Amino acid sequence: MILRLAFRNIVANGWRSITNMLVLSVVLIVIVWMQAMYFSWIRLAETQQIDWEYAKGMLRVRSYDANDPFSWEDSHAPLSAQMQGAVQQGELMPVLLSPASIYPQGRLMSAMLKGIPHDQNLVKLPAKILNPQGRDMIPVLMGTVMARSTRLSKGDVFSIRVKDINGSFNAVDAIVEDVIEIPAVTADIGSIWMDLATLREVKAMEDETTYLVMADAGLKSLEQGEFKHIDKNEYFADLYQMLKNERFQQALLYGLLLLLAMLAVFDTQALAVFRRRREIGTLAALGFTRGKISLLFTVEGALYMLFAGGLSAVLGFPLFWYFAKVGFKLPDSYDEFGIQGFSEPIRFVYPMGEILVIFALILLLTIWVSWIPTRQISRMNPVDALRGKVN
Amino acid sequence: MKEVIATIKDMSKAFPTGPSQFWALKHINLQFVRGEFSGFVGPSGSGKTTLLNILGSLDGPTEGEVEVLGANVHQLSQKAASKLRSEHIGFIFQTYNLLPVYNVYENVEFPLLLLKMDSAKRDKMVKEAIAWVGLSDKIKSRPAQLSGGQCQRVAIARAMVKKPELVLADEPTANLDTENSHHILDTMARLNQELGTTFIFSTHDEKVIKYLKRVIRLVDGEVASDDLASGI
Repeated sequence: MILRLAFRNIVANGWRSITNMLVLSVVLIVIVWMQAMYFSWIRLAETQQIDWEYAKGMLRVRSYDANDPFSWEDSHAPLSAQMQGAVQQGELMPVLLSPASIYPQGRLMSAMLKGIPHDQNLVKLPAKILNPQGRDMIPVLMGTVMARSTRLSKGDVFSIRVKDINGSFNAVDAIVEDVIEIPAVTADIGSIWMDLATLREVKAMEDETTYLVMADAGLKSLEQGEFKHIDKNEYFADLYQMLKNERFQQALLYGLLLLLAMLAVFDTQALAVFRRRREIGTLAALGFTRGKISLLFTVEGALYMLFAGGLSAVLGFPLFWYFAKVGFKLPDSYDEFGIQGFSEPIRFVYPMGEILVIFALILLLTIWVSWIPTRQISRMNPVDALRGKVN
Repeated sequence: MKEVIATIKDMSKAFPTGPSQFWALKHINLQFVRGEFSGFVGPSGSGKTTLLNILGSLDGPTEGEVEVLGANVHQLSQKAASKLRSEHIGFIFQTYNLLPVYNVYENVEFPLLLLKMDSAKRDKMVKEAIAWVGLSDKIKSRPAQLSGGQCQRVAIARAMVKKPELVLADEPTANLDTENSHHILDTMARLNQELGTTFIFSTHDEKVIKYLKRVIRLVDGEVASDDLASGI
């Protein structure tokens, strides 16, 4: 009975109801869009990094500090016999990192040389082309961002100067074997990929490794000595920190949007309680308790939100569909910012669980905001209400 | 001897007016028996509506006692008063007070929904009540599509549909023309006869007064006369 009356009142409220629902649905659409954007971005960034660099896990030398370039030169260690066995069985893939100076077209630039076995198949990097067999120069591979910043392209030759284990500088010539799209930014920006054995030879570091990529998460039991298991939280720490900062801004925006929407609902409900005093008195005369009358107004508020949910699904569908199919792409220049996950279009995946929780929270908030003005009803004398008098 | 359904004992009602009080009703003593067709008559501000509201448990007395259908109005909780109204009392207002978003059928059905009656029985009672007031052809119409007289007939059907023991009608003909007023009063008089429902009016309309079997004249909040013989 209350639901039917509430529904009829909403319909009878005409444009005021429609405006309320529109405001609420726009807020919902924006929130769902942003929620999907963050969710899909993180998912894509994780997938890209996992596909191109992290695989099922990583064992990295303890001395390596991603934020301290001075630590990189010495961040390597020999593998234990057990690790070497796992490498031979293809369960671990060793990678050696070495800071270097490069001279593309005579300019001096810094780069990170990354040695990877040319026969690996744990990550997506097409390392086969790095096989130096029968080549005069060292074949290297780089991502498009690195190629742009060094102004190198496929087939270009440049010199590399690198310090070996004894502190002597060696210079070698390298040829850009290919420039490819590398979605994982840490595998692109500043990185030059070459064959592991070649890099070890140039650096006179036989069997030295900076990190090992795992083929199976269970291999973390091999963590020993110089090598430490890097779990997902540690590996993605920067990404998660960035997400945390974004979440704060996101929460502020959500709060602001919700405040506007709730003001609209509150305003409508407060006006309704004032405008419909005679109806409140009639309901009291017919036997409605004050609680039931308050419930009627509160249900009307909740219905606004439920209808707004439906309206959002209808109005937002083309937008949601577009971003799920085509995706969200930042302009190419954003590549160089090194933001993970933005190197290819983010195709939205909608986290239904999160969206439903958010919807339920907004529904509760709407119910609360709709209920606040009805407190006036509990103070209203039915006789005054029937006369249309304000207490 | 007829059953007493409402008793008012030395009842007074005051309203605060700034620092002092205005006594709208003073030392009222009245008794109503089942099946009465009576009314409070008097000029504006004489306390008619206030008395009707107290009998309907919408308001309470300041002093004295009012017992309606065995319940002491002063001691009733808000919930118990609501229950008393929903089960035993029907209201008819000067301005009809129909729910504008409901049609005739739904407005008349509304009091029965509060009584949680099964739908088949409810439907039968609603149609019967609408037939009493001669609006069976307007069952789907909204109040905005009806004339004032038709709206008041819907209000009567709504008040009568649950077959209450007491119907309180506050200036029911004030907004109606003579023809509609007589139609409404004829309907109520007929229902009083057929169903034995007690009707208490508040009015200053001579047309209504002619129909009343008991006229209680109020002047400045006091009973000036209680004339059982002045009605038709």
